[in-house]
Amino acid sequence: MSAYVIGVGKTRFGPSSHPMPRLAHEAILGALTDADMSINDVGAVIVANFLGGPNESQLHLGSVVMGLFPGLHIPSWRVEAACASGGVAIHQAVTMLGAYDPILVVGVERLSGRPGAEQTRNIGMAGDVLLDQSQGLNFPATYALVAQRHMQRYGTRTRDFELISLKNHENARRNPLAHFHHKVVTQADIDAGATVAAPLRLFDCCPVSDGAAAAIISRGPRGGRGVPILGSAVGTDVISLAQRDDHTSFIAARVAAEEAYRQAGITAADVDLAEVHDCFTIAEIVAMEDLGLAAPGEAVDLIRDGQTALGGSMPVNVSGGLKAGGHAIGATGVGQVYEAVRQLRGEAGDRQVAGAGVAVTHNVGGVGGTCAVQVLGRP
Amino acid sequence: MITRSCPSCGARYSYPIDECTFCRVTLVEQPTESGEVVAVTEVTVPSLGHEDVPYWCALVARPQGGFAVVKRDLPTTVGDTLSFSSAEEGVCYTIGVLGSGVMARGLVELFLSRGQRVVWVGRSLERLGVAREKVIGRLGRVMDEDQLARATARLTIAGDQNALAECDLVLEAIVEDTDAKIAELKAIEPIVSDTCVIASNTSSLPLDVLSAVLEKPGRFGGMHFFNPPTRMKLVEIIRAPETTDETDAFLFDLSLALGKTPIRVANGPGFVVNRVLMPLLNEAVRELEDKAAPAADIDEAIRLGLNHPMGPLALADLIGLDVVVSIMDDMHARLQDEAYAPRPLLRELVAQGKLGRKTGAGFFEYTPPPNP
Repeated sequence: MSAYVIGVGKTRFGPSSHPMPRLAHEAILGALTDADMSINDVGAVIVANFLGGPNESQLHLGSVVMGLFPGLHIPSWRVEAACASGGVAIHQAVTMLGAYDPILVVGVERLSGRPGAEQTRNIGMAGDVLLDQSQGLNFPATYALVAQRHMQRYGTRTRDFELISLKNHENARRNPLAHFHHKVVTQADIDAGATVAAPLRLFDCCPVSDGAAAAIISRGPRGGRGVPILGSAVGTDVISLAQRDDHTSFIAARVAAEEAYRQAGITAADVDLAEVHDCFTIAEIVAMEDLGLAAPGEAVDLIRDGQTALGGSMPVNVSGGLKAGGHAIGATGVGQVYEAVRQLRGEAGDRQVAGAGVAVTHNVGGVGGTCAVQVLGRP
Repeated sequence: MITRSCPSCGARYSYPIDECTFCRVTLVEQPTESGEVVAVTEVTVPSLGHEDVPYWCALVARPQGGFAVVKRDLPTTVGDTLSFSSAEEGVCYTIGVLGSGVMARGLVELFLSRGQRVVWVGRSLERLGVAREKVIGRLGRVMDEDQLARATARLTIAGDQNALAECDLVLEAIVEDTDAKIAELKAIEPIVSDTCVIASNTSSLPLDVLSAVLEKPGRFGGMHFFNPPTRMKLVEIIRAPETTDETDAFLFDLSLALGKTPIRVANGPGFVVNRVLMPLLNEAVRELEDKAAPAADIDEAIRLGLNHPMGPLALADLIGLDVVVSIMDDMHARLQDEAYAPRPLLRELVAQGKLGRKTGAGFFEYTPPPNP
C-alpha cells in the first residue's frame, strides 16, 4: 500500500516551560495547517513518547491527547521504543493505513526540569536493567564503549568526533527550530568540554530537549504536496552490548535499511540526504556505515573531506541532527521525517540540499536495540 | 555471572530461562569466572544508583563467547583479566553477633542481605527465635524465595557462646554499659579462634577500657554502625591503642564490602558523630523546656532549616531516651562540658518509663507501640 506524508509540524526542540499537551498541540496544529485539513478528518492517532512515566508521571498519552480535540473518539494510543519511539510510530502508521486513513503521528517529550542524575538514570532505562543499568552503564558510557571498539578496529580518531560536532552545530545555525540555533560552537568550546565517559566529551553528546513533532500519514498524496514514503522498516536486536558480538555496527539498523531500500527500489548510492540518529558523535559514524552511505570504517573519509556537510556529496543531518538540533526523545524520529519532508518539498530555506530527491531517516532506540528507517521521495 | 546456551543450536541467553525458544531443549548454564577486557570507559557523570564518580565500565569478553559489562571502582585497561566472582559475590565471612536488641537485629539483617554467614548469640534463645523471625520477615520483603532460603540457611542462633568458635569476626552489640561489655568480651575471647577479630559496636564508650581486658588486644577495634544499619551508610572505624593494622584494615574493608562508607575516627568521647549529635539533642530538649516551640514545631524547624531528614526529638525517641541519657552521662563525665549533661526533662521522661519509640511514648506518642 502506498503512503504519503501530507502534513508536518514541529515545535522548537529545547528547554520549554510548556507541558506535554501544549507541546503536542503546537506540533499537531502545524501539521494540520501544513496539510490544509481539519482534525475531524483524522482516522487515528499514534503518540510516540519514551519517558512520560518516569519524568512526568504521565502515561496513557493516547487518551491525554484526546483532550486536545474533545468530542472526538477516534482510536489513539502510545508507542514506546526508547529513542526510536518516533520512527517506530511512523512505521506503525504506514502499516496501519489499511484500517485508518489518514493517521496522525505525534511525538512528544519533556526532559528538562529533572535533576541530572535522575535524568541519566531514566534515559538508562533504554538499556537492560540487569546487564547494563546495574553496572552503571549509562548512555554516554554505552556509546563510549562503541567508540572505543570502533577506534580499535578502524583507527577512528577523536578528531573525527570533533568534526561531526562542529558540522552539526554549524547546520543548527541554519535551523530556527534547532536546540542550539542561537549558539555558535567553536573548536575552543569543544576543547574546553569536560569528559563525560571517555573518550566522549561534552560536545560529543546531544542535549536532552523538550519538544514535539507531528506528521500526518495518508494512503494518497492529497494534492501535489504529499511526500511519498517509498520504504519503511523496523529492525530489532538484543538490547545490550553484552549480548552481541559486533560492537561497531547495529544489525537492527542494517536490517531496517536493507528492507526500506528494497521497498523503495533504491540503493544507498541513490540517497541525497540522511537524517541520522547522532545521539553521540560516534553514532553518526555507525549510522552512515549501517545505512551503506560508507563502507565499514570509511565514514570518516567522507567526514574528513567535508562531504557530509551541506553542499557536500552526502549531506548528513543538515537539520543539526540530535547533536545540535536537539533530542526530544519521543519526538526525534518524527522530527527527522519533518526535516526530510521540508527538504524534499524544497522548503528548507538556507539549509536546503540542492536537488534533494531521496531522503533517508534513521532513528535508533538504545544502543541499536531498535532501529526505524524510512525512505522518502520527492512529491 | 551466568549465561545459558542451547546444546542443540548454540543460541546464547542472558536471562534466567530454562528452555531454548527455538529447539525447546533444556539450556546449559555457563558460569563465567573471568574474562578479558576489550573496551573500557571512565564514567564521570553520576546517575541515580551510581552517584560516586568516576567509575569504570569495562566490556569483558567471556571465554565461552559473548560479553559482559562490569562496573569497577578502580581503573582497568584493555587486555586486563577481570574476575567476575570477586566482583559479584564478594567476601563471605562468618560473623558472630552478640545481643538481641534493635541494633543487633539490624546488623544481622544487613550481614545476611550482603551474603555473610551469621552466628547470633543471645542470653535467651526464645527471644532470639522471635528476633530471627522478624529478620527473616524483613528480608522476605526484598528477597525472592530462593534468596531468602539461602539467607536463612546462613543464619545460626545460639544461646551458648561456644557457637562462636568458627567466627572470623565477633561484633558485640549488647547494652551500652562498660561492665556488661567487659564481661562479654572476657567470656568470648577463650572461645573464638586465634585469628578471629573482635569488634564493639559501642557508640561512645572508650575502646581502651574495653580492649584492656583482652589477652590479644591487637585483634580488637571499634566498628560503630548507625541505626538502622541496613540503610545508614556510615561506619565509624575506631582504633584502640593496641589495634593492629590488620584488624583496622579488616574492619575497614568489611565495611566497604557491606556497601558502607567507613570513616576512621579517633578513640575520643562520642567519636565524631555522637560528639556533635548529643549537644544538638540536648539543646532541642532545652528549647522544649524553654517553650521555644512545641515539640513537633522544633522538629519541623530543624528538618526544614538544617535539611535534616528527621527532627532531633524524634531522633532521640528513635535512639531511645535511656540510651541517650546513658551516652550523655558518659560523655559529660569524660569531657566535663555542661553541653553534654542530660537536661532535666530527658531524665524525667526516662524516670516515667517513656523511653521513646520502643515504649510507645517519649517526646511523641507512638500508637500502637511497635514491638521491640
